[in-house]
Amino acid sequence: MVPVPPYVPLEIVNMYLPVVYTGLIIGFFSLIAIAMEKRQIHILILTDIVGFAMILVVASVGTDLAESFILPGLVVELAEILAISEILISREMRKIQSTNINKTLAPLPMKYDMEILTTAPNFLTLVLLAYGVFLTGFTGGAIAGGGILLYVLSRKARGLPIVEIEGISGLSGIGWCMWLIALCLFFLLPQYWLLSLFLAAAGLLLKVATKMGIIGIFMREEYGKK
Amino acid sequence: MFDVFIWLYSGIILTIIGTLGTCWGPGVKDPVVRILNTEVASIGVSLILLCYNHTLALLTMIATSVICTLILFRAISRLEEMGADV
Repeated sequence: MVPVPPYVPLEIVNMYLPVVYTGLIIGFFSLIAIAMEKRQIHILILTDIVGFAMILVVASVGTDLAESFILPGLVVELAEILAISEILISREMRKIQSTNINKTLAPLPMKYDMEILTTAPNFLTLVLLAYGVFLTGFTGGAIAGGGILLYVLSRKARGLPIVEIEGISGLSGIGWCMWLIALCLFFLLPQYWLLSLFLAAAGLLLKVATKMGIIGIFMREEYGKK
Repeated sequence: MFDVFIWLYSGIILTIIGTLGTCWGPGVKDPVVRILNTEVASIGVSLILLCYNHTLALLTMIATSVICTLILFRAISRLEEMGADV
C-alpha cells in the first residue's frame, strides 16, 4: 500500500479503484475477444480497445506524470495501427496476385459529391492550424495535422508532386533537430530553459503535424485517382 | 452541486458497454459496425479523462481516435475492393 500525501483531494483518491477495475475488465474482455476472433482486421479493431484499457490504468493514478505518459501511448498506438493495416493490405495483395495474376489491384476512384467538402475546409483548416500552433507540442501537432488532413482529403485535385512530399519530410527532420538541440541546451545551458522548452514544443509540433499531413497525402493519392 | 462521480460512473458504464458491444454485440460480423461500437468506448474513456482533469490527454485522445477511425476505414475499404475476406 502506497501512502497518499494528505494534500491530494479525497475525490481523486476515491476515483482510483473504480477506474483501475474498469481498465482491467475491458482489457480482459477485449483480450478474450481477440483470442476468439479469426479474421485479422477484426483483431486490429479490437487492439484499439486494449489501448483504451492501457490508458485507463495509467490515467487512474491521476498525477501530471501519468497524464504525460498517456500522450506517447496514444501516438504510438496510432502509428502501430497504421503500420499493421498497411501490412495487412499488402499481404492480401500478394495472396490474391499469387492465385490470379491478371487481377488489377489498383484502388478504385471514390466518387463523393458533398457540399461540405467544397466550402467549409478552407476556414476549418485555418482555425485548426492556428489553434494547433497556439497549443504546440504533441496535442498541437495532432490538431494542426488534423487540419492538414482535412484539407488534403477534401480537395479533389490529384496528388502532390514528389518534390513537395520530400519537402514535407525535410520539415519533419528539422522538427526532430529542434527537439534534439533543445534537449542538449537543457543540460549545457540550464539558464535558457524557456528557450529550450519552446524549441522542443515547436519541434514536436512540426514533427507530428507533418506526419499527419503525409498520411493525408497518401490517402488522397489512393482515393483521388481519376 | 457539481458531483464528479456522476460523470465518472457514466464514463465507466459507457466504456464497459462499448467494449462489450465491440466484442460480442449485435452485427459485429461487419467490421464497420465494430469500428462504430469502438467510438462508444472512446467517449467513455474521454469522460473518465475529463473527471481527472487530464486536458492534454483528452485532446490528444480525441484527435488520435478520429485518425484511427479514418485509417481503419481506409484499410477496410481497400480490403473489400480487393475482394479479400473481411
